[in-house]
Amino acid sequence: MLTERELQRYDRQIMLYGFGEEGQEKLKRARVFIAGAGGLGSPISIYLAAAGIGTIRIADHDKVELSNLNRQVLHWEENIGDCKADSAVEKLGKFNPNIKIEAIAETITDASVSKLVGDSDLIVDAMDNLPTRYLLNKTAIDKKIPFFHGAVYGFEGRAMTVIPGKSACLNCVYHGAAAPSEKFPVIGVTPAVIGCIQAAEVIKYITGLGELLTDRLLNFDALKMKFNEFRVKRDPDCEHCGKL
Amino acid sequence: MSVEIELSSIFGRFTDNKLTFQVEGRTVGECLKELFKQYPKLEKLLLNKEGRLQHAYDVYVNGESAYPKEMTKKVKDGDKLNLVFIIYGG
Repeated sequence: MLTERELQRYDRQIMLYGFGEEGQEKLKRARVFIAGAGGLGSPISIYLAAAGIGTIRIADHDKVELSNLNRQVLHWEENIGDCKADSAVEKLGKFNPNIKIEAIAETITDASVSKLVGDSDLIVDAMDNLPTRYLLNKTAIDKKIPFFHGAVYGFEGRAMTVIPGKSACLNCVYHGAAAPSEKFPVIGVTPAVIGCIQAAEVIKYITGLGELLTDRLLNFDALKMKFNEFRVKRDPDCEHCGKL
Repeated sequence: MSVEIELSSIFGRFTDNKLTFQVEGRTVGECLKELFKQYPKLEKLLLNKEGRLQHAYDVYVNGESAYPKEMTKKVKDGDKLNLVFIIYGG
C-alpha cells in the first residue's frame, strides 16, 4: 500500500501506461543488491532510489579517493577517505528517506557472496573487475535470480541482462576469458549511460514492462556516439548455467 | 569478398583513429590479415603465438559471435565484422 506522500512522489511514473500504483508497489517490495558503489554503482543506485526501490543493499569495500570524483557522483570532496558504502548510504538516504538502504563495506569473495546477496531479488553488476563479475553471475544463476551486467572502459560501455535458465549468461558470452585487472581509463559520462541502462532494466524487470536486454549484448561507444547490439546465445556447455 | 570491419574506439590508437575498413577475404582471419598489413601493431595485440585471437577479444559477424573458431569462420560479400574487447571497468 502506497502512502499519500509516495503517490505524490512517484506520480509521474505511476502515470506511465502499464505502470500504475501496482508497478510502484512492486518497486517498493523489491530488494536489490548492487555490487559496487563506484562509477556504475552511483547512477544505478541514484536512479533506483529515485524510482522507489524498497530495499537497496549496496556493497563496496573501497574508500573514496580524489581520483574517483570524475565519475563516482555519489561521493564528494568531503567524503575522501570515507568508506564508499557509507558515503552512498548517506547520500541515498537523504535523497529518498522513504526507502531502506543497507551498506556493506566488505569485499565480495567466493566465500561471502551468497551471504552478502542474501535474499535480494536480483543482482546489479557495478564491479570494476572481471573475476568478481563471474562470481556474481554464478551466484545469480545458483540463486535463480536475474543478473544485470554492465561494464565500462574509456568512452565505451556494455550492458546485458541475464535471466538464469532462460537467457545467455556472462560466462556464455565471455567463456571464462580473463582481462587484465589494472587501472583503466574512463570518462564519467560512460558509466552514467551504462548505469542508467542497467537501472532501466531493473525497473522493467520488477514491473514486468517492456522487453529485457536478454540474449543481446549492448555496446555503447561515445566516441562514435553509437550503440551496437550483438546477438548472444546460451552455451549448453556453459560452466555457470549449462545445467539449468 | 568485400567485407566491412568496424573496430571499437579503443583500437584507434593503433590505426590512427580510423575505425572502419573495407577489406577483402573469405574468412575472418583473411580479413583481419588485410587489416594487419596496414597496422602490424594490431596483429601483435590481437593474436597469440599460434595465430589465434587472444581470449580478451571477440569478433562478431553481422552481429553474431564468431567464437570459438573465429579465424576460420567464413564470410561473404557485404558481411560486417565488429572487433571488440572485453570491457571490465565499472
